[in-house]
Amino acid sequence: MRTSHRLAFASAALLLVTACGGGDDEPAEGDATATADTASADSATGGASEEPTATGGATATAGEGDGGLGSLGLATSTPAGTQPVDSITWALYRDVNNLDPVFAFDYPENTTIALLCEQPLRQAPDGTIVPGLADVTSPDDTTYVITIKDGVTFWNGDPVTADDVAFSLGRNMDPAIPGFYGAQYANVASIDVTDERTVTVTMKSPDYFFRGVLASSSAWIVQKSFVEAAGADFGNPTGRTMCSGSYQLGDWSIGSPLQVTVNENYWDASVKPLVASIEFVGAPDPIALSAAIQAGDIDGYYAFASIPTLNELRNDPNVTVTDGAGYQFDALLIAPREGSPLADVRVRQALSKAIDRQGYIDTVLAGAAQIPKSWAAPGTWGYARDVFQAGYDALPALDQDLDAAKALVAEAGAEGGTFTIGLIGEVPPLVAEGALFQKAAEDIGLTAEIKTYPADQYISLFIDPAARADVDAWFTVAYGDFADPGSVLGQGLLPGGSLNYLPYDDPEVTELLGQARATADDAARAELIVQAQALAMADMPMIPVALPNNTLITSSELTGAVPSFSMMYAPWANQLGGV
Amino acid sequence: MSWLRWAAVRVARLVAALLISSFVIFSAASLAPGSPLAALSNGRTLPPEQQAQLRERFHLDDPFLLRYVKWLGNAVRGDFGISIASRDEVSRLISGRIWITGQLVLYASLLILVVGIGLGLLAGIRRGAADSSVLVVTALLAAVPAFVAATLLTILFVTELGWFPALGEGDGLGGRIEHLTLPAIALAMSSIAIVARVTRAAVRDEFGREHVQTAESRGIPRRQLIRRHVVRNAAVPITTVSGLTVASLFALSAIVERAFSLNGLGSYLVKAAGTKDIAVVQGISMVIVVAFVVVNLLVDVCYLILDPRIRTSGSAR
Repeated sequence: MRTSHRLAFASAALLLVTACGGGDDEPAEGDATATADTASADSATGGASEEPTATGGATATAGEGDGGLGSLGLATSTPAGTQPVDSITWALYRDVNNLDPVFAFDYPENTTIALLCEQPLRQAPDGTIVPGLADVTSPDDTTYVITIKDGVTFWNGDPVTADDVAFSLGRNMDPAIPGFYGAQYANVASIDVTDERTVTVTMKSPDYFFRGVLASSSAWIVQKSFVEAAGADFGNPTGRTMCSGSYQLGDWSIGSPLQVTVNENYWDASVKPLVASIEFVGAPDPIALSAAIQAGDIDGYYAFASIPTLNELRNDPNVTVTDGAGYQFDALLIAPREGSPLADVRVRQALSKAIDRQGYIDTVLAGAAQIPKSWAAPGTWGYARDVFQAGYDALPALDQDLDAAKALVAEAGAEGGTFTIGLIGEVPPLVAEGALFQKAAEDIGLTAEIKTYPADQYISLFIDPAARADVDAWFTVAYGDFADPGSVLGQGLLPGGSLNYLPYDDPEVTELLGQARATADDAARAELIVQAQALAMADMPMIPVALPNNTLITSSELTGAVPSFSMMYAPWANQLGGV
Repeated sequence: MSWLRWAAVRVARLVAALLISSFVIFSAASLAPGSPLAALSNGRTLPPEQQAQLRERFHLDDPFLLRYVKWLGNAVRGDFGISIASRDEVSRLISGRIWITGQLVLYASLLILVVGIGLGLLAGIRRGAADSSVLVVTALLAAVPAFVAATLLTILFVTELGWFPALGEGDGLGGRIEHLTLPAIALAMSSIAIVARVTRAAVRDEFGREHVQTAESRGIPRRQLIRRHVVRNAAVPITTVSGLTVASLFALSAIVERAFSLNGLGSYLVKAAGTKDIAVVQGISMVIVVAFVVVNLLVDVCYLILDPRIRTSGSAR
């Protein structure tokens, strides 16, 4: 049931920030330190920082060499596979709907397209942005020059041309389609083909956010002539798709698993995937899925939040569970109605202090999450990591403190106040999350009422103001499209941001994030974001509940899959193989 | 002559039933709360101009009746529109999944008919231990809902014993049967109990009839008595209940298909309803209604064969 309440924001925010034009202006701090061990993570300390985390170098290929994410001990890589494997079966929570990248907005589509298609830039397993099928430079604050690498070809052998790149990016802006990622291109003034291998993107205003976009779901490059020939069927099993990745689309028909096979003519000869064929099957029921994993019928699965049987799988010697670094956060979104106590910042602070996050994580998420200090998870520190680490460490821990919470409620004069939380009645984790807040409210002299919705109506809370007439708050699990805390924070903090329902509008925070967006230097930009984060977290415009690990579950005979959330956007099976 | 009239009445009823249900399905799916825009945007915030484009593209602002007539006109020709989530024709999406549901329902139906009627006859004809055992077993089976049965069967036969695969459809006939066995059992379980109980009651009923007792007293051999007088007459109520339970399997399959990750119409209907993929919901609902109506038609044809009075009088039961 992920889709229904995950409903996130991958892109829709307006003003975001991202990695800088230069590409490698991060201090290369040591390299490749200990790969975080499987099944180690957990024990959400959130605070205590350990070693400085390693930033993976600018290697384009996934895998070896990236360290874990320091303070949370989450993995960004697993040891590379060494043995060739004929075929494996990989589970998704449902089967793939469509492979058109402009509609790729859920785990199944992202997981598969990430193997098939490539962007100009690429998100490395640790979130850093590295060259993809192109090199990208920024000669000035408003210009991105995309130069396609030598010899890059589609699966059919045709070269990837500037026309294809401009066409693929431009599709996001085509009102006739209309794709899910239009908002990411809101600041684009023009996309021009400069020569056969070069595309120039001009921004309306200085924008270092856009670099991340060029490594995200809205920049997967497809072949123009193929798309035009396929017409309305492009991306479905009839029309199929044409990309340049190290895997190509194999058998796929409606109601049958989607198969990908190794692209023997992949343009980067150094990449040699070991698994010849991967079959993707939909497995909506976690019990059946878990049984199939244990029986060896399923070889791998990304559990984006958790599955109820996770601890059983951890204890199974035939199964390897890796707690990967996530971009996701689980939070209570707040849109207070007239007279709601949640309009008062002190009540929001009190509620945040009153919930038992650790209990929720242990029981509902099977321990596969961290207590947040901010909704920008450490997994999103794609650059200037030391700056983000320091900023995160300086934030107050969101531990349970009922006395302080009661004091805040008293100070606000809100005792006896009532508010309503919306959730999907048939999704047990959401029901438990609702109960968590109900208990917390009761503990501090407030009343939280629960209103349940069917999944399809719950979606409306996110997009239809009229649908919010009955609630003051509801839950989301959301994520950014690339590893940038500025982007993730902007969604909830900037006026018009896709998760800013409060609505939060603090001139200082807006100014800081706006400056960050126009700042070329990574460290300087990170400093601005950290300042905005500190101001905003004090105001609790939403209440972060947990930072779910990106949990990778595989047969213990397999290794090398990318465990971090970058697998939603970048090839994650290039080093996958037999142990 | 009279059976022609009988057939005409049946066909007219069938068309009427389909028309009425098509309207109910279309209006229920269209008028249910929640905006179809939610499905179009997958929950993303959409700028107003983009919302307007989507509304126009999917004809959301046309008057309701106009949309219904258009939809019906297309549906009759097998065109159920475009799935928002899959960007594909609904008719293709349905035909790609209909076989797995059809096979599952067929498999479960066979189980229901063979095991259910078999147990019912056994309990009805033989009294004593056989009867009591059947009563106990069917009481248990009837009490287990399909989703519980699915979980229990998975735990027992997949996780513990490893006899069957946990999910998927399987390749080839053998693989398909292997993969569908547990789902078919889960789907058939409570229906087996119902059919067995009704069969038992019908058989007992016939045994109590005057003509059967007369025949018995006249010394007609028991085997012949059972075949010609008891089972023959009990066949009509047995057919009725079997038909009804089998017809309802199409709708019930949703639960079982989800539990075993089968890519059938039922699980697809649940998925589509959850994301408000209206065209898919309408299309699958219509297919299920058609299947229901067709099964009932088959039941009617069975009556025709079983009960000569229908053939001569033309009156329905």
